[in-house]
Amino acid sequence: MSRVSKRILIVDDEESILFAVKRYFTRMGFGVDCARELEEAEALVAHTAYNLVIADLSLSDSGSAEGLEIIRFVRRHCPAARVILLTAYGSPSVEKEALKRGADVFLHKPKPLAELATIVTQLTEGPRS
Amino acid sequence: MTERATERRTILDELRLPGALRIEFQPIFRLDGDRRELYALEALTRGPRGTSMERPDVLFEYARRKGEETQIDLLCIAAALSEAGTLPGSPRISINIHASTLGSTPRFTSTLLANARSFGIGADRLMLEILEHRAGWADTTRTTLDELRGEGVLIALDDLGVGASNYHMLIDCRPDHLKIDRYIVAGCSRDRYRMAVLQSIVTLGRASNATPIAEGVEEVEDLDTLRAIGIDCVQGWLYARSMPASDLAFTPFLSPRQPPAAEITL
Repeated sequence: MSRVSKRILIVDDEESILFAVKRYFTRMGFGVDCARELEEAEALVAHTAYNLVIADLSLSDSGSAEGLEIIRFVRRHCPAARVILLTAYGSPSVEKEALKRGADVFLHKPKPLAELATIVTQLTEGPRS
Repeated sequence: MTERATERRTILDELRLPGALRIEFQPIFRLDGDRRELYALEALTRGPRGTSMERPDVLFEYARRKGEETQIDLLCIAAALSEAGTLPGSPRISINIHASTLGSTPRFTSTLLANARSFGIGADRLMLEILEHRAGWADTTRTTLDELRGEGVLIALDDLGVGASNYHMLIDCRPDHLKIDRYIVAGCSRDRYRMAVLQSIVTLGRASNATPIAEGVEEVEDLDTLRAIGIDCVQGWLYARSMPASDLAFTPFLSPRQPPAAEITL
């Protein structure tokens, strides 16, 4: 399968982050969709077969945790997809919960795009175990 | 993620901005021998270009998850009527609507007809395509459908044969038209199961006085099969893609706009 046929969903409430990450991964040859609200991400996952979902933990304020909802939704509707959860407010308990819900990777921000790209490439090149 | 986020416009806010919802029209034709007559134009909604809402499946799924399906439905209807008002001729306009919107909107019929009239569209030029499962059905839905029928609005049951558009909805809606989903239509010429389903729909239509309309007709072989089975109302890329009103005005499908009788002088 070529990269261009692999689809990634990026979920973040920061438009500038969505713009930059979309541009980066599109240049790498991925098909990229973006969502900035929980319901938008769910609507996209419900109607699209993604290979990977990259979600921020919090989409509204520093206390919210929509990213955990997204993991659960992806596991139910798109079980083959890999999931990366990113956060600037991570704690061991949140990380534990994310992995319990089915996240493949938990990352702390800030994370250089080149490093994220390496992880994305690894995750999208193999089947989910 | 940021404090600023709470002050930002949501996607719903953006969808409510004037011009955010774009409308395209796809012709539905009635075939009679070698003749092809425009029967209706289905209004199809698209969200803002370059966003995830450009996809109608995502747009309506999002609206449903936000609990705003009715509001988005009503916005789509308003946008469709406004665009239809710019078309030359007097084509019938077919508009999609969820059953839940019909049942939950007070004075739906009078509001719809008044809105349509303001764009020069009479009730006899309207067709409503009913979407959704019976869970969205309310006691008032049947009343609203009866009112609409009484005013001359045609009722179509959309996506027949897939998902939740089923016999239950057929009995409740009592439609004038059965819109057959493309899943059943595409490839029917080489699939005896699809052919069998189509034949049963034709029989169902004859018995219930509802004319079938085949959606997603893209191949000549499928068209021949549909016609042999007795389906003469068709919609699909074989004849025409969906297009904005401005493009449709340059197609041969529409006759030039006729002035109202009161303006004609001899």
